[in-house]
Amino acid sequence: MNLKIVGTDFLYSIRSWTRSRGTVFWSLLFPVMLILLFGAIFSGMGESKYTLYVQDLDNTDMSHSLVTILNKTNVLNIKNVTKNDDITKYIKDNNIKNLIVIPEGYENDITRSFSDPSAKVNITYYFDPTETQTNQILRSVISSVLEGLNMQLTQGKTIIGLTEQSTVTENFGFIDFFIPGMIGFTIMQQSIYGSIERNTKFRKDGILRKLLTTPITRSEWILAKMLFMLFLAFISTSVAIGVGVLAFGIKVNINLLTIIIVIATSFLFSGIGMIIGRFVKEEETADMAAGAISFPMMFLAGTFFAVESMPSIIQIIARALPLYYVNEGLRNAMIYMNQTEALINGGIVLIFAAIFFIAGVILTKWKED
Amino acid sequence: MIEQRFKCPNCQEIATFYGNPGETKVVTCAACNTKGRVIIPGEKQDNNVAIEVSHLKKVYDDLIAVNDISFTVKKGEIFAFLGPNGAGKTTTVEMIESIRTPTAGAIRLLGADTKTGFNQIKERISILPQEFHSFERFTVRETLTYFSKLYKKRANIDEILDAMDLQSHEKKLYRNLSGGLKQRVGVALSLVNDPEIVFLDEPTTGLDPKARREVWQVIANLRNKGKTVFLTTHYMEEAEHLADHIAIIHKGKIIAEGSLQELLTTYGEKTTLYIKNCHSEDARQLLEEKGFEAHSSGNGDIMVKIDYKEKVLEVLSELRHECIEYDGVDIRGSNLEEVFLRLTGARLTEEAET
Ligand SMILES: Nc1ncnc2c1ncn2[C@@H]1O[C@H](COP(=O)(O)OP(=O)(O)O)[C@@H](O)[C@H]1O
Ligand SMILES: [Mg+2]
Repeated sequence: MNLKIVGTDFLYSIRSWTRSRGTVFWSLLFPVMLILLFGAIFSGMGESKYTLYVQDLDNTDMSHSLVTILNKTNVLNIKNVTKNDDITKYIKDNNIKNLIVIPEGYENDITRSFSDPSAKVNITYYFDPTETQTNQILRSVISSVLEGLNMQLTQGKTIIGLTEQSTVTENFGFIDFFIPGMIGFTIMQQSIYGSIERNTKFRKDGILRKLLTTPITRSEWILAKMLFMLFLAFISTSVAIGVGVLAFGIKVNINLLTIIIVIATSFLFSGIGMIIGRFVKEEETADMAAGAISFPMMFLAGTFFAVESMPSIIQIIARALPLYYVNEGLRNAMIYMNQTEALINGGIVLIFAAIFFIAGVILTKWKED
Repeated sequence: MIEQRFKCPNCQEIATFYGNPGETKVVTCAACNTKGRVIIPGEKQDNNVAIEVSHLKKVYDDLIAVNDISFTVKKGEIFAFLGPNGAGKTTTVEMIESIRTPTAGAIRLLGADTKTGFNQIKERISILPQEFHSFERFTVRETLTYFSKLYKKRANIDEILDAMDLQSHEKKLYRNLSGGLKQRVGVALSLVNDPEIVFLDEPTTGLDPKARREVWQVIANLRNKGKTVFLTTHYMEEAEHLADHIAIIHKGKIIAEGSLQELLTTYGEKTTLYIKNCHSEDARQLLEEKGFEAHSSGNGDIMVKIDYKEKVLEVLSELRHECIEYDGVDIRGSNLEEVFLRLTGARLTEEAET
């Protein structure tokens, strides 16, 4: 292995890449545009109703009527939480921003207050303090509903009070979901098409035959090209993250697992490109084959929309697609910070990468028949 | 150099000597000082041979593309492998370059068997594949530098640019070059490792006549630098213009081989001298009497077959002697096209690809 040759080829690849407007566009500008566009469309969709989760532990006529009154404000979109749910866990798991708990004995306490002036009952309001705007609106809606009730029941004395409990939940929007998907998609495109160019165009142009008679070995060449592909993958990843942070203020965790998944993705799709190039000799046809594979994969593997929101048949298909695990792995590693999920998905990506890359290397030959 | 052990006939001591295979050496036994002559065993290598191909064969499925051909290319010569499309030129040259695997036969390149020793001689050869197209977004200089960095032995890039007349284009991107320039860069590329043998597979196909002549100039320069050139072409003018030695390949077989002169004398027609507008039947008879083969053509010309050019003067002086009038003369020599036509019944350039 002559590392000088590898280095030379790597540097020349970068230089030649910077001169190609097409590749710069597809690997840098295009993802940026998509992120900005999708981010603007989907993050900007402001809700006209605010979602309020309600856990009714009392389950009496009075508690029901409180929920009905809240519902009648027409501002709130009420969602019920069952009695058995542990509330702190529920909030965390489902990323709940606003929730009230009607305590057990609510009706009882109110009825008692007619005879016992000291009787009181407190509704607890759980909220996410980072969502200041929503909180203000919800708090004022809930307080005014309670005030109205107090007024009706006791001419002004506060029987039903409100205790507040702030819970910090993570605030994931569409863009948090989309940026890892965009990273996976971009690396996929770069790797497949780059690999196809090297294995079809370079073959047709005689470059591979020429190289075969020079001292560079196939492993040196592949190593140099993979270094270059990784360079591209990291640039695209940085650009996508940069746009997310600067334009949408997302929080990203760059950790070892993220980096490993990025690297594995690059190997994975370079391998798929090699395999396509092995069986489809014409560059144009190979590009079409690559499109036919990568384009549906982009939609089915949950690049833009969560696979969970799709019909179950698509969910089954998605789980057969390597890009799905790339997306899931990256999301869990860099956004959701769910390291177990990240590890599982990352592991699956590594296995796919090993299989496809090794198969690609074995199937590709420089020699002619 | 190989190592060889000998037993001294006098003292039975084992002694080690070095020499080239086939070489005869006078050696002295270190133990008893007996002098003797030893022959280093092994094939004697002809140092003048660059490429030696024997019984080379390539079969694709049911097509025999190269059918048991043998030839030798001498060092320092331009060897033209001439044949129509589909004759098996590329298949042959790429087997020599170890790009394709022969079905049968042996190839020695600079003394090395390409089956086992190709990697050892990579530094000493260079190729220009057919329809070669280099990296789109390298400049001319970068293209040369890139390929030169793949080798240990590197020629000076400026000198190559100079010799190939490419200095004024060195900053242009390869993709923006004309076809002729691309081929010149391709030939220039095959010099970056200062190789001993350069393989050029149809270097001028698709070029206009001017660009073709420029590439010819560049190839002629290679010979001046002492390189061996293996050139495949389907243009007979190219072979006529450049080659020291020509092998004509047709349907996978070498049908004729030799220098241009040898081929023309062996297979070509005689040169024909056309005497324009000479309506005298006397003149024709006169020439016949003098031993020339003369015919009248329909349009008033007399055609005289001559063996070699010097005979022209003889014919003309006969005519002047008899005061016979004519408008002028035209000499049509034999050429490779004709040789090919004679050998195969087909025309070189129109032979369809099979
Ligand atoms: N890889 C291949 N597979 C099958 N047939 C081939 C292959 N390469 C060349 N041929 C056939 O072998 C014959 C010789 O081809 P080639 O060596 O390219 O000829 P040339 O270079 O003289 O034009 C042609 O009939 C061609 O179609
Ligand atoms: Mg050819």
